[in-house]
Amino acid sequence: MSAQQGSAATTKAADTKNGEQTPKDQKPATQLEEDDEFEDFPIEDWTEDDAQLPAGGNNHLWEESWDDDDTSDDFSVQLREELKKLGQK
Amino acid sequence: MAPFNSGIETQFCNEVNNALQAQDGAQLLSILQLEPPFGPIYQQLISSLQSKYPKDDQRAEEQLERVVRNAVPETGESEDEEGRPVPNWSAMVTFIVSWMCFIRDVNVENLLETYERLSDLQQKANSALQHSTKGILILPTVISYAKVFSRVAIGLDRQPELIQHLIAETVTEEGRRESLPEKAANILRHAFITCLNDRNTAPRGIKDGRPDGKKVGIYRMANICLKILFQCEKLENCQTFFSNIHNSSPPLAIYPASERVTYLYYLGRFKFATTDFFAAQLCLQKAHDECPSDPSCLPQSRLLLIYLIASNLLLGRLPHSSLYHRPEAKNLRTHFEPLARAIRRGDLESFRRITSLSLSHPSTPFFIRHRIFYQLGNYCEVFVWRSLIRRVFLLTGQQVGTSSRSAPTIDLSALLAAFLSLERRALTLSASLSQADSVPGKRHISFALADTSTPPASLGYIDPDFDGVDPVEDDTTPLTPYIRTTDYSIMTIESIVSSLILQGFLQGFVSQRTRKFAITGARRGGGPLKAGFPVVWEVVRRREEGREVVGWRLEGAVEGGGGGVVRLAGARPAGE
Repeated sequence: MSAQQGSAATTKAADTKNGEQTPKDQKPATQLEEDDEFEDFPIEDWTEDDAQLPAGGNNHLWEESWDDDDTSDDFSVQLREELKKLGQK
Repeated sequence: MAPFNSGIETQFCNEVNNALQAQDGAQLLSILQLEPPFGPIYQQLISSLQSKYPKDDQRAEEQLERVVRNAVPETGESEDEEGRPVPNWSAMVTFIVSWMCFIRDVNVENLLETYERLSDLQQKANSALQHSTKGILILPTVISYAKVFSRVAIGLDRQPELIQHLIAETVTEEGRRESLPEKAANILRHAFITCLNDRNTAPRGIKDGRPDGKKVGIYRMANICLKILFQCEKLENCQTFFSNIHNSSPPLAIYPASERVTYLYYLGRFKFATTDFFAAQLCLQKAHDECPSDPSCLPQSRLLLIYLIASNLLLGRLPHSSLYHRPEAKNLRTHFEPLARAIRRGDLESFRRITSLSLSHPSTPFFIRHRIFYQLGNYCEVFVWRSLIRRVFLLTGQQVGTSSRSAPTIDLSALLAAFLSLERRALTLSASLSQADSVPGKRHISFALADTSTPPASLGYIDPDFDGVDPVEDDTTPLTPYIRTTDYSIMTIESIVSSLILQGFLQGFVSQRTRKFAITGARRGGGPLKAGFPVVWEVVRRREEGREVVGWRLEGAVEGGGGGVVRLAGARPAGE
């Protein structure tokens, strides 16, 4: 029936069967706009291989022990100077 | 009935009936198009409806209902394959009639009118969804319409002049004014609940490792509603969705990746907004891990990373420099690294500048736009305190050797001096002047003309030579205007240190007699720095891990999906 020839909007809406598409079929979106709206994904489902990171693979992204013992940086030098001045009072 | 049977209306109804007979929900959706521009066949239908069933004819809907009822026998009472009675589906008849009226009358130029017609149509579709056995056929249509409906509702919310009269007249039972997007979300919530409570499914709503029945629509409907509520900043209304899902949903893991990642984004942001940063971090890390690496998904991946970095900063985990090399992290270093550096060094002055309520820092618009400014400003401060105390200890503390019996100490007066000088610099010096004043020898000429760095004698700093002598300074001595503004005293420092001890970020005790902070366990704990200043993330993790994340349904066996029982341990951040 010609009812199926419908609009682009409906084609887009009838996305329940596009699970077989791979991310590679999609147009790359290069723009990094700073909107906080979380857009719909261009694909419905994907496998772990297409995902950002395999589980457990993000160790190197975070520093858990980050204390800085270097007291020769500008900040420490400035702070030491302040503390010295107070000691002289 | 003859005049009704030959029209294009009947042809459409026949197609609908075929789709229902074939149990093809996607086919049904492709027939019941909602958005212009309509193809030629729809133009014919609209013309026919306008001439034969005009809007101003009060009997039109009744007549259309008769046409639909006759041409869509699938909506009548019947029996299933096993001979059990299937009740009629009159809600579907009403819905089809509403759809015909909608495409006959819709005028997308008038956004408010379109919203009202969509609202009516959505409610009819929701009713049709409730049919115990056939309702699932209309689920793709309900979801697709919900997306359009939510878009219009959000669009209208951004044009308040169009909906002022509606806001004024809509008051909830509790007497609270309900915004138009909230009303839309409440309408869509009915469909969400229908999906969630579908009883016509396999046990626990899972079949062959996939969601069964209408439960397949739980997260798609929830995500649409959450999007509306986030866009109109009604986060408090989200709680009910998370609670409902927690109580009745099959595990999230058996749903398609796009639904999982989107849902965890909203859940993570909700946890972030309600200051449950550990839960936020779990949700956002999982969502970011599962987000496709394809460039087309960069905007989603970037948003996830922004909130993930913010959550980790608030838990005392700082981004590694390699993180900023990721494609979705472009320019994020500019905003987050100065904050991480201030935390790392204990640079209270820089921290104050970055989180200043004067909103003067260049990164402030970015933090505010993403609604992380308040949290970063309020909850990271304790880590800056800890680092500053640690730094003062490195510079002035008495790091007694392991052979000595006395504990390593930090003079509270030295801490007061350090806190005060940094607070005062943040208040009085511009960032550029501060930079110029940072190091002896690099001092800007203007400092020769201004005495901004002279500390008051009343600070009470105790020179090592006078250690142990009762202080003669009275804390109530009037202070200089700078100090009055910042309101610091030894008592303030004692409060700060005590609060850090209580939270586990410092290990030791405050001696009020000697006005010192003494580190305990230095000899057996690998030295005063290690013993006195536990790793923040370790402290937080020990306190938080193992706790349930309400809204993230993990438990439950996954039949045939390679399953087993998924426990929260599986959701810990990677690297644990």
